[in-house]
Parts: sequence; structure tokens; C-alpha cells
Amino acid sequence: MDATISFTLNGRAVTVRTDPVRTLLEVLRNDLGLTGTKQGCDLEGECGACTVLLDGVPVRSCLTPVGKVEGREVLTVEGLGDPDRLHPLQKAFAETGAVQCGYCTPGMLMSSAALLARNPSPSRQAIIEALEGNLCRCTGYARIIAAVELAAARMRGESSPDGGAAQARPIGGDLLRVDIAERVTGRTQYVEDMPMPDALHMRVVRSPHLHARVVAIDTQKALEVPGVLRVLTAADIPGENSIEGYSKDETVLVPVGGTVKMVGDAVALVIATTPEAAQAGVAAVEVAYEPLPALLDPEEALAPNAVPIHADGNVLSTFAVTHGDANAALAASDAVVDVTYRTSYLEHATIEREAALGYIDEEGRITVVSGTHEPHWHRDFVAPVLGLEPSQVRVIMPPTGGSFGKRQDPWLVAATALAVYHMRRSVRIAYTRRESFDASPKRHPYVCRYTVGATRDGTLTGLRLRVTANTGAYDSGGYYIPNYAIVAGGGAYRWQGVDAFAQSVYTNGPKAGQMRGYGTPQSNFALECTLDEMIQRLGDDPVEFRLRNAIAQHETTWLGYPVAESLGYRQVLEAIRPRYQALETAARAFNESERNSPWRKGVGLAGMWYRFGKYGIPRVAAEAELGLDGRFVVYCSAPDYGQGTATVMVQLAAETLGVSRAAIRLVNADTATTLDSSVPGASRATYWVGGAVCRAVTALREVVAAVASEMLDCPPSAIVLADDRVMAGGDARRSVRLSEVAAEMERLGHSRKVTGVLDLRAQFPNYEREVYTPHFVTGAQVAEVLVNTTTGQARVTRVVAAHDVGHAINPRDAQGQIEGAIVMGLGAALMEEFVPGVTTGFSDYYIPTAKTMPDIEVILVEVPSYQGPFGAKGLGEAPILPTAPAIINAISRAVGARIREIPATPERILAAARRGGLR
Amino acid sequence: MTHYRIAASVEDALKILEEHGGEARIMAGGTDVMVDMHKGKIAPRCLVDITRIPELRAISVVGEAVQVGAAVSLAEIHRHPFIAQNVHVLAEAARSVGALPIQTAATWAGNIVQAMPAADGAIAALALQAEARIVDATGARWKPVEMLFVRPGVSAVDPCRQIITHIRFRVPSRLWGSAWARAGRRESLVLPTLNCGVSLRLHEDGTIAEAVIALGPVAPTPYRARDAEAFLRGKTPDAAAFAEAGCIITGDCNPRTSPARASREYRLALIPEMVTQALEAATRRAENRRSQS
Repeated sequence: MDATISFTLNGRAVTVRTDPVRTLLEVLRNDLGLTGTKQGCDLEGECGACTVLLDGVPVRSCLTPVGKVEGREVLTVEGLGDPDRLHPLQKAFAETGAVQCGYCTPGMLMSSAALLARNPSPSRQAIIEALEGNLCRCTGYARIIAAVELAAARMRGESSPDGGAAQARPIGGDLLRVDIAERVTGRTQYVEDMPMPDALHMRVVRSPHLHARVVAIDTQKALEVPGVLRVLTAADIPGENSIEGYSKDETVLVPVGGTVKMVGDAVALVIATTPEAAQAGVAAVEVAYEPLPALLDPEEALAPNAVPIHADGNVLSTFAVTHGDANAALAASDAVVDVTYRTSYLEHATIEREAALGYIDEEGRITVVSGTHEPHWHRDFVAPVLGLEPSQVRVIMPPTGGSFGKRQDPWLVAATALAVYHMRRSVRIAYTRRESFDASPKRHPYVCRYTVGATRDGTLTGLRLRVTANTGAYDSGGYYIPNYAIVAGGGAYRWQGVDAFAQSVYTNGPKAGQMRGYGTPQSNFALECTLDEMIQRLGDDPVEFRLRNAIAQHETTWLGYPVAESLGYRQVLEAIRPRYQALETAARAFNESERNSPWRKGVGLAGMWYRFGKYGIPRVAAEAELGLDGRFVVYCSAPDYGQGTATVMVQLAAETLGVSRAAIRLVNADTATTLDSSVPGASRATYWVGGAVCRAVTALREVVAAVASEMLDCPPSAIVLADDRVMAGGDARRSVRLSEVAAEMERLGHSRKVTGVLDLRAQFPNYEREVYTPHFVTGAQVAEVLVNTTTGQARVTRVVAAHDVGHAINPRDAQGQIEGAIVMGLGAALMEEFVPGVTTGFSDYYIPTAKTMPDIEVILVEVPSYQGPFGAKGLGEAPILPTAPAIINAISRAVGARIREIPATPERILAAARRGGLR
Repeated sequence: MTHYRIAASVEDALKILEEHGGEARIMAGGTDVMVDMHKGKIAPRCLVDITRIPELRAISVVGEAVQVGAAVSLAEIHRHPFIAQNVHVLAEAARSVGALPIQTAATWAGNIVQAMPAADGAIAALALQAEARIVDATGARWKPVEMLFVRPGVSAVDPCRQIITHIRFRVPSRLWGSAWARAGRRESLVLPTLNCGVSLRLHEDGTIAEAVIALGPVAPTPYRARDAEAFLRGKTPDAAAFAEAGCIITGDCNPRTSPARASREYRLALIPEMVTQALEAATRRAENRRSQS
């Protein structure tokens, strides 16, 4: 019945025999092994990652039946160029930092290639229009557009600087990423791309109910589906049915008699020989549910007679901070603002969906390859589920298509490990996009009530804060949310009195968990908007007001202790002051000249502080080794899901050793080969793991120098390292190869591998501070927004961002992180909202496109850290914090009325404009 | 398994349809058909690809008459010099569907046969008073596109038995202009909160000879604002007249609340703004065509 289809693929004739209605995407990936073309949505044409060229025209390969390409020419990213002969676009993408996680990159490249073939001199607008159908979640698009401009100029024969910078020093120069040639040519293998021909396929039976008791599970019909081998339920879990280490109340599979607490809760796992059979098996599993009353609103969940979602009631956790006398401070204020702000459920919407590959490794360990923030943590969560020791489980971090906190959830690793445990064979799973939306953790929606006082001269007095965070059905890492809500919610400001209380409340909404900034963007949004209300009330200036009230470096903060790292907030505000003033003046002039039009321009400012490094014992280890081949090998656990930490680790090691990056090999994030770096997330990799890497290579250098000095008959202090050799002083004639040094160490029985530890325990003896190291980065952003007061449509035209990042290890990647965070923050401010029961995927969850992108200017304010490697701090999350409040402040000022709920949809903006008397 | 047949001619396509007795389905770009098949909404036994039929691949402009073949992609439409410069409502509507890699495959006829109440191509077709040439075993006939919508998602054209081969409309060479207005939750790759297509012909004295206004999604099928059109006939094209037209439409149409996009109330608030915006742009273009000729 199959059809024979012949076409030209990347310049070569190919013939496939297959069902002609299968998508070109599936045939390319599964039949022809070209996995550079990616699938990001459920074959609905929503994301653009699968874009290929058909006779030179960009098409969605997920919407193209393979029968359509008969006799035609198909070009994929693999045919554009290869690592040794990059296409000018691939080269430009690599050099401009247009690639973070790389998952959207093949589609972006193909859309760009089609554009440049049609139009060698595209305008910026033409580039944006060519790319507006390709979603990217990491970069914020600016660098992608710059890359297309650079490639176009080179292809036109115009000279432009080579951005390779191979000769630049390892730190501080603009540097290519370590694995960039593979990323831009489609060679990087993400989990779904890894070949494993005999792997079984797993799909998940999930709850369609918000809240229901599982009365019975009948797997008989599913087991009769051809190809279905096994259906696993809670009864098949050999150890604990819990991922308690991460989520204190969450089961792996809801047992009979238990309750499903959200749509998407997992009830059973179906394992089959093909994905289709597994899916058919899922449909055939019969689960009898007894529906229970569902609660979606945390206020209702807190009511005295509310149905308890968990046995202990509906409050997961609380946290409070009291400082001074807030009541007295508020009572003595000249002005008090008392307002409530609300935020929505948000979805990470990484372009790669959740995927895992499990197998039994050569040493018999249950092994799972899947995106994670810390493989050791996942290993330790999973082993008890299987009733095994952690040493019997292995977790490996593969190249990963974005995280933003999404991949901290260990459920997928636990489920995959369970399947491998039972089947003793390799098993793979990839979520559908719909499943990813239903079942993965979201950002906690907050209700924040702020009562803020100030004196007439603009000095802050008291803060009363009440935060209710909706943690949804499970803890899912939401236990610590109240602490984060409050610390961010008070900001880098001097308060006379603080009375803050926050609670995390269960509902039957999707479980909320880790997402970029973990609990801080929501309260910072509310704080910075509330302050703007106060500033307007007082007729004050947004920059001067914040400067006047900013915490100084050495003073005791309202948290009860001083900060323990350099604090750059004043420098950040001073850096942004001239930009704010210029944009504000321009907006005034615009609004004056456009008095009779529906358009208003608003300019808003917001600041932030963000505590990076997270909780846990402030001690991190890494290892460094001199390989027998004479190369240096760094072993650490700094998972890179697109932010560029792998490159940073190599840079830090190379700079510390005084060698080039090529001399360093990185082994990263594999529980079988690297040390536990103890805590995941919180923008900690560069500061903490990087610090440990620097110490490890410093220790290794000492050992190497000691051995080499004997060989060269010189003092160890005279030893100079080069990429492949060791010299006595600067004398190249008196040298030995590093491989010879390694052999000598072997002969002497000297260990070639040493450990380095960054240990700040002495500095944080107190429990509370040990858990939360008071290390803060700061930033401020100005947003300029054009608002149509008759339709409520808003366009963010410009964002200027000043961030204290410490010493930037890779300035271009640091800027890229900030740009990406701004565009993600813009999404939260204007369009993103996960509505339980409504939102299904990319077709109704609106993330920014290239067309949404504002002009972004990044000002790196480099206030060196005291203890980070080369003065670096943590950056990845912080820049998302000021974006939404800056945008909302701009809109509120433009329309003359406050918007206190995000996203600020056109509908909400129009309502505000009417309140503001503009209609 | 579904068969895939690349039709060589309209006759060939009809023959394949007939062979399958209603279980084969016409397909052009496939951007909707493939999604509907994946979702299990349709399960044809055979797809009949009409995109290689030469006579369906052309856009012809003869005098005031424009004819677009059913296999012409939306990208080819909005890049067509005559359409880009003279038929703004169509060029901009074609540019609004999804994004470029969808417009390179999707077609105007396919967009119309999907019969969704806010299909950009359908709204533009109404504003142009376009006609579709429908061919089946009984022969060929031209029908106004406006007559082709039965209810949401159901077209009067049965893609398992009939083919739209061409769409045609007239572009008066003088005193005529068209415009497109669209609002969505973001600026691209999004279904419309509201879309509005307008064409407008002026008398020599500057008053309105004929206005055509179409909107979506404000009714179960693409909506034509006939009362407002009648009101505008003979009026001076100014803000007051446009505002009144907007009021008439607001009173007559019946938009729904869609939780992921917008409320009924917001759509109603948007209608007068979008209608005015489109009518103003169309008037400006019509007046420009006075000076051109």
C-alpha cells in the first residue's frame, strides 16, 4: 500500500517507500535520519522549528505530506552547510550569539536562507517578516536578526569584521560557544534525535479531571492493543510512590483509591513497540473516576469549609518577615498606597518538548538521558522510587532545547526509569505539546496586596505585604515560594518597618514550580508598580526616588542582615538615568504633538534585586584532570540548556590555566562521571560551579607544575603552561609535552585528577543564611510603549536594560541572556496567560514573535563580585524581573490609569484607557 | 492508509474524486487538511493534490478583472505586483494568515472552503464581492463567495466532490480603494480577535457610490455589513458617516466571547474603530485613484 516517492534531498536523489500522507518532517527524521529538522508543536504549524525549503520556498515540514514533494527539491539544515564548510548564515548565527539552546535554529536558518535567496539586501522589516513565523524562546530575536544582516552583507561581498575572535582571551572577549558548529548545522543530538533503534515507546495515561478519586484502573483492553507490552500503575512501583525530595506531596502515579488533583495528573504508563501503539494503549486504559469538587481560586481554597486537596489542608507553606514597626511607620507616613496586584499562570514554552531516553548502561545502571538542572538531584529523587541505591541509577544531561526551570521537575526521569526497571530495555518518551502544557509545572500566579508608605519628601517608610501564591495541585518546588516572594517583594530598598507574610496555597490548577526567577518576578512586578504609583502620587522622579531609598552596600537590610556580595543597585540606576530622561522627554513631545490622535507614548521604569545561588550548603566541588593525551579535562555539573554555561566553564578553566580553550575538554552533568554540584538553578552555575572549576584547575596546575619542574629541573614557580606543553620560564627549548608530564605522573603514581571546592560555609554559619546566601544582583529597565487608546493595543518600542552582572565572563552571551529575558518578560506583561481548561498549546498561548520584539539596549554594569570567579555574578534569571513592571508602568502612565493585573491584554488596556478618561 | 494523488488536470482531479465516491478530498497547500487529519476531524481515503495543475497556478489581470487560480499560494498573491499595489484588502489579508512558511503553501480557495467565521481570505473575498468557479461532475458555475458559507467549518462547496478552480473579482480602475484591518493578541502568527475588509467606490463628486464591508468573527459565518453599506451609499466619506456605519454594525452583529482571545464586549468595542480605520484607508486610496487616472 505504501507509495514510492522520489525527490531531491540536499542535492541528492532519494526514494522512500511510505505512506504518502505522513508528514515530510517525520520522514526526514525517522526514515532518512536527518534529525536537524525539529518538531516543536503537535504537527500544527505553530512553531516553525520544522521549516525546510521546498523548491527554495520555506514551508512547514509538519504540514507537508511527503507525497507532495515527489519530483521536487527539499533542502534541510544539513544541506545548508556542514561544520567544516559553514553557510554564511550558519557562520553569522554562530558569531553573533543568535543561538542559545539551538532548537529553533534550523528553522530560523532555513527561513533566513529563503529570504536571502529572494532578497540579497533585506531591510530589517523584511527580515522580521520572514522570521515572524519562527518561535524562539531564548534569544529575544535581536541577535538572530543581526545574524541575518551580517550574513547578507557578507554574501553581497561587503567586508565585515570576522566575529570569530579565536585570538581573544578566554574571558571577556566575544567568544564562540564550545559546541556551536554542531548546533548551527543540525548535528547536535537532542534526546529525540539520539538513535536507539530497539527502544520501546512510552505514553502516559493522564487525568482529564481537575479533581477526582480513582476508583478503578482496568488495563486489560490496553494490553490487547497490538504492540502494547506493558501497562504500569502505582502498584508496579517497587519503592516509594513519591518524588518527595522535590515535591513533598506528589506521587509518581496516582494509585487506585487516591485522588487526581489536576488535569494531566499521571495515572498509568503504557509501554509499546511503537509510539502509535502506545498512544492507542493509552486510549484503551479504562480509568473509573469519581469526580470531586474542584477549586481553582486560592481565595476559595483558603475558605474555612473548602474541600481539602491534600490531607493537611490547602496551605502548603508560609513565610513571614518582620522588621521594625510597620504599623507605626505607615501611620506616620504622608502618603500611603494600598493596592492589590495579580499575575497569571505562565508556561515556559521551551521549543523542545519534554523528552527522555532510558536504558541500562554498560555497568547495569538504570540510566536516563533527559533535560535536568542537576542530574545528581534527579538521580537521588528517582532511586527511592525504584527501591535502589543512587549508585544503581544514572542520569545524564543531554543537549537540551531550553529550560527556564521547566526541566527541574523530576517526574519524567522517574517515570522513564520505572519503565526501564520493568522492561530491562531501552524506552523513550516525548511529550506532545499539549501534554507539555497540561502536565508540566507553571509559574505561580500571585495575588499581592501592598500597603506602602512614604514621607512628603519621598522617603519610604513602611511596607505591609500579603502574598497568596497559587501552587496548584502540588508542591513541585513551591514550598520555598513564600520566602522568594517576600525577599523580592521588599526590594533593594531601605524600609523603616516591614510586615510581610506570604503563603503558598493548593488549588486544582496545574502544579506550579520553577520558572525563571522562581517566585520573584511576580512580587517584584507588584512592588515596582506600587512604587510607581507612590512616585506619581508624590510627583517624584522614578530614578531619584529609587536612588534615595536604595540600600547601601554595608547597611543591615530589612531582612535583618547585610548583603554578602557587592551590590550594584545605585550604579545601575545611575547608568539608566540618562536613558530614562531622554525617553521621557521624547514621549512628552510625542504626546503633545499627537494630542488629537489615539496614540499615546508611555515611559516606565522598574528596578529589582535578585538573590542568586539559591539555598543549600554553600559548598560546591568540581574536578580537573590532566589526560594521558595531554589535554586538560574539567568535570563538573553545570547543566547547559542554552544559557552557555558549558562555554563559561571552559573559559574559566582556560583563563585560570593560561591556555587556549582548545586545550580544555569539558565533561558535564553526568552522575557517573561528575561530582554533585549540590543545588540546581538560581543562576548559580557561573558563580558557584565556576568557582569550584577555577579552584580545581588551580590545584591541578600546581600538581602539574610540581611534576614538570622535576622533569625540567627548574623551580615550580618558573613553570609556564602552553596548550600542549610545559616550559621552564619563557624558554621554549626547555619544555616537555603535557602528555609526557601525564605519563610521568602515571609512572610516579601521582593522581592526575584533583578536586577543587568553593566553600563559603565559614562565612554563613547561621542556618537561615546558610540556606539562603545573601548574594544579590540588581538591575533596572526602562520601557517605552506606544498605546492605541481606542483599541487597547500596545507595542513595546524600546527597552533599555542596565544590569550589574559582576565581571562579564562572556559579554555577548550575557547580553543575549538579558535580551531573551526582556522578551520573555514582555510576553508576561502583555500576552502570556495559561488558563486552566482553555489553554492547549502554542495556538492559544501567545509567546512573543520576532514582530513583537522591541529595540533593546543592554548596559552591562560590571561591579565585580567579592568571591565569584574573576568577579562574576549570576545572571540568567534576574533580567526578567524589571521588564513587566517597566512596561506596565509605561502603559499606566500613558493611559492615565493603573493596570494591576497581567497580562495587560488589549482588553485590559482599553478598560484602563477609559478609566483614565481617554475615551 | 490514505492515497495521495497529484492531479494533472481539473478533469483528472474530478475523475479521482468520482472514483472514490466522496471519500477522496481536494487538497492544495494542506495547511488545514493535514491538521484536521491529525486531529481526526477528517479521514479521507485519498488526497487529491491540485497544486500542479497548470491552469490553476496563474493570476491573470485583464482590464478590471482579476482571476486567481486555486493553486496560487497566499504568498504568491501578496507578492503579486498588481495585487500588492492595487488590492490592499487581499494582499494584507493574505499576509495575515499564520506566517510566511504557511502562506507559501496555503491558498485562498482552501481558506474559503474551511469556512471559518474569521478566515482572513474569506473576509477579503467578501469585501471584494469575489466569485468562485466551482466545478463538479455536473459542470462549472460561478457563485458569489458570500453564498458558500453554511455554518462554522462547513462550506457549501464539498471538497470531496467539487473543486474551486478560480476566484475572480473586479478592481475598478478609478475612484476605488480597499483596506484591511486586523487585531489579535499579538502581531503575527495568531488568529484574529477581529478582522475587517473594506472596498469603496466613490462618485466623481466624492460621495460614496458603493461601500462593501466584511468582518469576522462576529457571526457564525463571515459577515457582510449590508445595512451599514446601504447607509453609506451617497454619503460623504467622513468620520461621522463612518462612526454611524460602525454603530449600525455593532447593533446588528453578534460576536462571541472566546476565552483565549477576547470577550464579546471587547469585540463590540473594537468594531467601530476597525471599521473606521478601514473605511478611512479605503477612501484615501480611492481618492488617490482619481488623481492617477
